[in-house]
Amino acid sequence: MTHQSHAYHMVKPSPWPLTGALSALLMTSGLAMWFHFHSMTLLMLGLLTNTLTMYQWWRDVTRESTYQGHHTPPVQKGLRYGMILFITSEVFFFAGFFWAFYHSSLAPTPQLGGHWPPTGITPLNPLEVPLLNTSVLLASGVSITWAHHSLMENNRNQMIQALLITILLGLYFTLLQASEYFESPFTISDGIYGSTFFMATGFHGLHVIIGSTFLTICFIRQLMFHFTSKHHFGFEAAAWYWHFVDVVWLFLYISIYWWG
Amino acid sequence: MLRNLLALRQIGQRTISTASRRHFKNKVPEKQKLFQEDDEIPLYLKGGVADALLYRATMILTVGGKAFGMFEGTAYAIYELAVASFPKKQE
Repeated sequence: MTHQSHAYHMVKPSPWPLTGALSALLMTSGLAMWFHFHSMTLLMLGLLTNTLTMYQWWRDVTRESTYQGHHTPPVQKGLRYGMILFITSEVFFFAGFFWAFYHSSLAPTPQLGGHWPPTGITPLNPLEVPLLNTSVLLASGVSITWAHHSLMENNRNQMIQALLITILLGLYFTLLQASEYFESPFTISDGIYGSTFFMATGFHGLHVIIGSTFLTICFIRQLMFHFTSKHHFGFEAAAWYWHFVDVVWLFLYISIYWWG
Repeated sequence: MLRNLLALRQIGQRTISTASRRHFKNKVPEKQKLFQEDDEIPLYLKGGVADALLYRATMILTVGGKAFGMFEGTAYAIYELAVASFPKKQE
């Protein structure tokens, strides 16, 4: 049996990059088919194959780490850098939407009535559901920290409880926001106000769903004894992502809901 | 050798089961043994039959989907060309 004399992980060949790329092609061409030709088949196929790819790819990462021991300290360091760089790229993604919002709201055009919110728009009261949403996410930030400390102190049951609370709070946020969307007096096509509001909060909501999914995976892994008190990077990555989602919301709340 | 040592180190750090629920037993050591077996099976198939089924399904859906998409796209493109070739006359 050949052995390596270094601590790095030379990944074995895998089919998932190929299926991932193909699924991306199916999703994008599926979008075009849906927009222009009213057919959702390709899009659904793309979403399905994308999900299958993600499931198997990350399943394999768990196999390489928890089951085969490839995630040595240098490898983990690389993963940490990777996650930080990814979150940074997401920060820039949201920066674009905030730029668009401030561009239009700091100098409202005569067509909008020369003021912000524009004529005809009844904005949502920031002290109602949006404030509740803020407290929900802040509380989830506390519970995930509790979960992390429980994990580090080898307190299995408390970790499971705290992580469950975090996930439930995330779900609660999503439900509240969904009902807000349903009840909202304005839509995405209501001028620049509608566009900036729903693009920014919409992508944020998508990230909450992604973060909640990541946390749920960590929950399952914790139940299956994958994490140790010293080695649980998957959980840390999920926690970082979750804090990022929380911070984006705070910026959204202050800028769009309150100041706007 | 280094890899085995590192794997052993991970087992040593495994938390002792304090699960209050009956059905959550720590199956990690068995999984570690399964996935470290010195057979030539690639990682994405090493879990068993379910792996192979999932792999095949994913491959068929993606490659088949690509073929279908190209067909559907081409068919629609030709259809649109046909429609465009015979403009409606205004009465």
